[in-house]
Amino acid sequence: MTEFSVEATGLTKYFDSFKAVDHVSLQVPAGCIYGVLGPNGAGKTTSLRMMLGIVDPDEGTSRLLGGHRPQAARHRIGYLPEERGLYPGMKAREAIAFMGALRGLDWSEGRRRAATFMSELGLERVIDEKIRKMSKGMAQMVQLIGSIVHSPDLIVLDEPFSGLDPVNQERLETLVKREQGRGATILFSTHVMAHAERLCDRLAIIARSARRFEGTVDEARALLPMQVRYTPRDGSDAVAALLPAGAARKGEAWHFAIEDSAVEPLLARITAGGHGVAGLSIARPALHDAFVHIVRQVDAGFDGDPEEDAIEEDAA
Amino acid sequence: MTPFLRNLLVIARRDFLAIVATPTFLLFLLAPLFMVGMGLVGGMGASQLADSARGAGRIVAIADAADIEALRAADKSLRAAMPREPATLEIRLASASLDPVAVAREKGSDTYAVMSGPLTAPRIVEREANSSSGRYLALIAGEVVRGRVAGAPPPIAPHFEALTHGGTSIAAQQSLGFGAVFVIFLVTLLLAGQTVSSLAEEKGNKVIEILAAAVPLESVFLGKLLGFLGVAILFIVFWLVVAIAGGFVAATQLDPAAIAAAGKPAAALAVAPASGWPFFIGVGFAYFVMAFLLLGAVFLGVGAQAGTVREIQMLSLPITIFQVGMFSLSAAAASAPESGLAKFAQIFPFSSPFAMAARAATDEGHGIHLLALGWQAIWVALVVYLSVRLFRAGVLSGGSGWKFWKRKQA
Repeated sequence: MTEFSVEATGLTKYFDSFKAVDHVSLQVPAGCIYGVLGPNGAGKTTSLRMMLGIVDPDEGTSRLLGGHRPQAARHRIGYLPEERGLYPGMKAREAIAFMGALRGLDWSEGRRRAATFMSELGLERVIDEKIRKMSKGMAQMVQLIGSIVHSPDLIVLDEPFSGLDPVNQERLETLVKREQGRGATILFSTHVMAHAERLCDRLAIIARSARRFEGTVDEARALLPMQVRYTPRDGSDAVAALLPAGAARKGEAWHFAIEDSAVEPLLARITAGGHGVAGLSIARPALHDAFVHIVRQVDAGFDGDPEEDAIEEDAA
Repeated sequence: MTPFLRNLLVIARRDFLAIVATPTFLLFLLAPLFMVGMGLVGGMGASQLADSARGAGRIVAIADAADIEALRAADKSLRAAMPREPATLEIRLASASLDPVAVAREKGSDTYAVMSGPLTAPRIVEREANSSSGRYLALIAGEVVRGRVAGAPPPIAPHFEALTHGGTSIAAQQSLGFGAVFVIFLVTLLLAGQTVSSLAEEKGNKVIEILAAAVPLESVFLGKLLGFLGVAILFIVFWLVVAIAGGFVAATQLDPAAIAAAGKPAAALAVAPASGWPFFIGVGFAYFVMAFLLLGAVFLGVGAQAGTVREIQMLSLPITIFQVGMFSLSAAAASAPESGLAKFAQIFPFSSPFAMAARAATDEGHGIHLLALGWQAIWVALVVYLSVRLFRAGVLSGGSGWKFWKRKQA
C-alpha cells in the first residue's frame, strides 16, 4: 500500500451551470482519521461521492487504496451515505449481513459479526427487530455497523454524528478510534467541530465548492492569533498601557489577541509592570473559531448574493 | 463465482425474499384462483344454458305410416355424417287435422323446421329461411326416395386407415404457435410489469446510494431482474404443479372408457409442433425467460427514471400498450410464418421471443433458436447497459431532484 488511502485530484462537478465542486483535491494518509469540514451546501457530499465513484466527476480523478480506481476497490471500502437508508422490512441482523454481502462478505459471517457489533454498541435488544420498528438513531447505528461489518481498509462516513444522541455519538467516536487501531483509514465529513477536534489527525475545510484549508487541527488553529486573558491583581486601568492596542476589559479580565512572537515580551512587560497576576491564560482559539474565520473570509470574497449561490445539498 | 455474479445474486436474493416473504405475495400467487373460479361459474352457467337450449330443439317430419321407418333409417345413417349434428328428429303420423305451420308454432320446444306432404315434393316450413335444418329434412326425404327408385344399393364395406405420424396439419401447428405467443405474452404481461416500480423502493428509502457505492449498477439492475424472474418462475411452477396434480386427480376419478369416449381431447394431444414437444416446451420456456428479461429490462430502465409513484402509474399505460403491440406483431407473424412480417417480428428484439416461440411450432429447425436466444441475450445486456447509463447520468448525478429531464443542459 502507498502512503495515501485516498488521492483525489482536481475533482470538479457542475450541476447545470453551477459549479458544485471546484477542483477539490484530497490526500488522505493511510491509517489516519481525516475530517472534511464545511458549512451546509459547501460540496462535501458531492466531493465524497465523486471520490467513491458513485457520481462521475466532470473533471479530475480519484484513486483509492494505492492507486486503484474507486470501482476496483469496492470490497475494501465502507461508506455511510449522508442520506440514511435501509430496507424497512429487513431485520437488523439481515440488513447488516446484506450490506456486508454487497461488499463481498459471507452471509453467515456477516450475521455473526452483526450480532457482535450490535451487542458491543448496546443494541442487543433489537438484533432481530425490523428496521421500521426502530428509532431513527438506532437505524443509523445499524447502518453504520453495516458499512464497517466487512472490515474495510477505508471507511467513509458522511455526517456520521448528525441525528445521534450524545451517548451514541460517544460510542461512534470509540468505534472510529477502534477501527483506526485495526489499521483502517477513516474519512468523515461533519460540520460539528467538537468531533473533528477530538478525532481528526488531519482535516480539510471545504467552503463555496473549493478546498480552503488542509492540515492538522493545530495548523488550523494556528491560523488565528493566540487569545490572552489577563487579570491584574490590583485591578487598575493603568495596566492598559502595557497591553497591545485593542485589548478589551470584560469585568476584571482583559481580553486580546497576540502574535506568537509577542508572547515572551508580553510576559516580561506584565512581570515588570507591577500590577500583579490574578489570572493569566494564553491559548490557541478552538477549531470552531478557526473554521468560522476561514468560512467568513471565503464568504467575504464573494460579492454576489449568497442566496443565489447556495446549493440545496439535501436535494442531491 | 465472479464478483459480478456474486453481487448480482446478493441483490436478486434480497429482492426475491422481500417479495416472496410477505402476506401480499400469497394473494398474488392465488390471484388466478379468482380468475379460474369466475371462469368456472360463468362457464357452468353458459353450458347449462346451452344444454337446456339443445334439449328443447327439434325438427319435425309429418309422414305417412309407410314412410316412417324409411325416414328413421335415413336419419340414422345421415345424422353422423353431418358437420354439426342436427336437432332431434320427431316423426309424426300425417292426418288431415295436422297443420305444419301449427306444429312449427307449438310451445314447449324450439322447432327449427317442419316437413310435410309427399316425399317427392315435401313442403318444408322453416323458422329461418334457408336453414340447415330445412336442408337436412330435404336431404333425408331425398335419401328415402333415391333408395326406393334404385332399389336397395349393395352395401359398401369401407376400410378406414389413419395417418398415425407426421399428420399434424399446418393450421394446427400455426394455432399451436399462436398459443405459445399468447401464453408467453399473458405470463409476461402479468409478471414483467412489476419491474417498473422495483427501483422506486430503493429511491424511496434511499438505499440506492448504498447499492451504487457497493456494487456496479449493472449488477443491481440485473439482480433485480433476476429476482423478479425468480418470483415469476415460482408463480409458474406453483400453478404447473397445481395443474398437473389436478390432472392426476381427475384422471383417477375418470375411468378409461370415459376418456376414450371423450375422443376429441385425445385427438388434440396428437397435434405436435414441428420441432417436437420436448424441444418446443423447452425452447418456449427459454423464450419466456428472454421475453421477461427483455421487457423487464425496458420497464426497469423506464421506471428507474420516474421520480414518483404517480409517474410510475402514468408509465404503466404506455408500457402495457408496448407489450400489446409486441403481442399483436408476433400473433400476426404466427399466422403467416413465411411472410416478411414474420421475419421482422423474429428479428426485432422485443417481439423476437414471442415470434420465435411461434416459429418453433411450425419449423423443425433447432439451431436457429440458439442464434435467436443469443441475439436476445445481447439485447438484454444492451438495454440494461443503456438503462444504467441513463440512470447514472440522470438520476444519480442530477444535483437537484431525481428527474431525468432536469439533467444538465451545458
